[in-house]
Amino acid sequence: MAAPQVITPAQRWHPQLLRLATLVVLGLAWETASRFNSTLNLAMPSLLMIAKALFAILFDGKFYQHLGITLWQVVASMVVGGLAGVGLGLWGGLKRRFGQAIEPYVYYLAPTPKIIILPVLILMFGVGSGSKIAMGALSCFFPILLSTLAGVWQINPVLIRVGRSFHLSNRQMLTLVYLPAVMRPVITGVRLGLGMAITGVLLSQIRLSNAGLGFLAISAFQTFQVADMYAILILVFALAALANAGVASVERRLGG
Amino acid sequence: MKAWLHRPALWVLPFLVLGLAAQEAGVRLGFIPQVMIAAPTAILGKMPMLVAEEELLERIGLTFGLTFAAAALAILAGVPVGWALHRFRLLNRAYESWFVGLGAAPLILLYPLFLVMFGRNLFTITLMGFMVAVIPVVLKTREGMDGVRPVLIAVGKSFKLSGLRLFWKVQFPAAVPVIFTGIRLGLIVSLINIVALEFLVNIGGLGRLINDLAERFETAAMYGAIGFVVAISVTFFVLTERIELWLRPK
Amino acid sequence: MIRQRTRLGLLAAGLALFVAAPAEAETLKVASSHRGVWDTSIVYMGNEQGFFKAEGLELEILWTSGSGETQQAVVSGSVDVGVGGGTMGVMGAFVKGAPVRIISACMTGASDTFWYVKADSPIKSFADVADKTVAVSTNGSSAHLTALALIDQAKVKAKTVPTGSPPATLIQAMSGQVDVGWSLPPIGFEQIEQGKIRIIGRGQDVPALRNQTVRNLIANANATKNKRDALVRFLRAYQKTIDWAYTNDKSIEYLAEGAKTTVAMAKRTRDEFYPKDVMRLGPPKGLEDSMRQAVEYKYIPAPLTEAQQKELFEILINN
Repeated sequence: MAAPQVITPAQRWHPQLLRLATLVVLGLAWETASRFNSTLNLAMPSLLMIAKALFAILFDGKFYQHLGITLWQVVASMVVGGLAGVGLGLWGGLKRRFGQAIEPYVYYLAPTPKIIILPVLILMFGVGSGSKIAMGALSCFFPILLSTLAGVWQINPVLIRVGRSFHLSNRQMLTLVYLPAVMRPVITGVRLGLGMAITGVLLSQIRLSNAGLGFLAISAFQTFQVADMYAILILVFALAALANAGVASVERRLGG
Repeated sequence: MKAWLHRPALWVLPFLVLGLAAQEAGVRLGFIPQVMIAAPTAILGKMPMLVAEEELLERIGLTFGLTFAAAALAILAGVPVGWALHRFRLLNRAYESWFVGLGAAPLILLYPLFLVMFGRNLFTITLMGFMVAVIPVVLKTREGMDGVRPVLIAVGKSFKLSGLRLFWKVQFPAAVPVIFTGIRLGLIVSLINIVALEFLVNIGGLGRLINDLAERFETAAMYGAIGFVVAISVTFFVLTERIELWLRPK
Repeated sequence: MIRQRTRLGLLAAGLALFVAAPAEAETLKVASSHRGVWDTSIVYMGNEQGFFKAEGLELEILWTSGSGETQQAVVSGSVDVGVGGGTMGVMGAFVKGAPVRIISACMTGASDTFWYVKADSPIKSFADVADKTVAVSTNGSSAHLTALALIDQAKVKAKTVPTGSPPATLIQAMSGQVDVGWSLPPIGFEQIEQGKIRIIGRGQDVPALRNQTVRNLIANANATKNKRDALVRFLRAYQKTIDWAYTNDKSIEYLAEGAKTTVAMAKRTRDEFYPKDVMRLGPPKGLEDSMRQAVEYKYIPAPLTEAQQKELFEILINN
């Protein structure tokens, strides 16, 4: 491991400069491509146009409507997938045999592509929010379950013995010992799951949908309003990053 | 593999069989609509059709080929970049957070623009697979390089190795286990993204097949194809995990 | 006198109440293929013009990128009616047990559909499309059927690629993602006039399709049972909207707006490509031909039996 380095103000200044320079170079390259190549121009509108579109969208009520629907679907899928993941994770963590029985299946199913069962979800839950929430829930279920399971199994046995020696009831054991101890791994799972839920919800909004930011982005694209599409995607990425940072800060606080 | 076969996991199998039997009964007795969920025997019955008429094997080959191509590109580009981040701390301080951020962003949503720029073809799909695969390769290469014990480098230097030779003889071999973790993550995310793109854009292998079958209401065949995607990803995951364990210093 | 006036007033108030009663309209969910196209825009126009409201219906419209998606929405039961279900695809879904019914024809003849290439493409006609990619909307759609027929007629081998609705296809064709794009008027007309694309084949080039119903109004089997009355009213309003749309040019403004094109272009679309007759509701025409094609392209294993036909076709309008 590299020893912690002392970073002088000058050293802190250099990376910023480098990043700025990179952005300028990328921006110039983008503008050049946009101006001089007609095919690329279709996919890479001038940055000025994107900025204008971004500004216009931020003052457009329609955007907030679709944002609201997306938020609701993401939150609902986190509630469904998260409760199922944490619940099953706690259960499997406490009933070790059960946990060991399901863990390999969950572990190996976790990294399979989920979007391919969208047609099934549409048949089961319809074309409305139902199928989108189901897709999001399915996407976030696996990481949350896996990290909860691991969290329970990593609880220091001393804590459990202490709890038992105080003759805590099962319920008290859960609320006083297990839950506080698994908080951090659960939050880590939530952070990972949130990213996947967002992707799952947005992707399922591309197909057979008339609402949500995924729909808004793809329909902007399909009507040749590519600058609008970039603007929406920039906002989506920013919001996803913000959500991620929010959960990460909770995670750090718990870890400290 | 031992972890896979340890006994509690096997206990699930009878329940799985029971579940499948219930599914079969439910569909046959009409409790479950067959356009929604197919009977397991019907799914099995569609296998010959999938292979003969829907070119299942070719499609599996295609999806895999694209995934490996994407991962190969990711290694070619990602390892040098990761090394550069390790070697030049300024670069690391400037760009590490960018890579981490990109790794968490839903990059797949950019696909319409890639289609316009590079066309609706397999190259574009590979490129998008590469884009997500390269990030873990870069980050893990840097991490692996950073973790090489100074003693090893000192020994290498005592043999008057320097620059590239020091890299190839000492640093790279020592960092391989960690780098491979990055490659494995890269393979997994590129497989997920490639299948998803095939599905969304109607191009390429298994993903496209599933969409075609769904639109034609070939429900049983569609479940068969979904089963194949799951089976393949799991196999992939298990194999790369074994390689990773094998590479890890004992 | 005064009395009579009060009575009249009461009567008027009563009438107003009666007329206003549909304010608590029943919601009917409708999936419709391709926004901005004449024949599938009828629901939109009728909804805006209040024809459906007059029948006590409130429409909630979901736009899809083709009949394959429209059918998925109908089969899932989350929409009641689908506009523009390709005959071949609907039969295919039906024989596989999907709860879908045809309640009326909605487009007869494929006179409207056309295929185009970028202006600088070497392709001149369908004879040149060997080994090229030809766009269609979704699997089993009328565009799919027509493209297969055009390819067969030219005696070449080419791949059809589902690319979604006309606007989405246009951007893919312009950027070279497919060799041959498909469209429905007026989408693409502007580009034709500007010399950016040119037409290489039309639905009317296939004689067999001329008297054949290619798109239908479809409904979920549950809806034909539980919402039969609403569906009948839906069809009545649909017919009224068609009658209105061919006599009132407000319909052209709607189309121009939906397709983002000029009023002149929209007018040409209606008057040249969609003679009112092709929009006739009622039982689908040319069924024998449709079944033969569906068998040929493997959508159904054999022509539908009498019993199957009776189940699939629940025509809810007399015309």
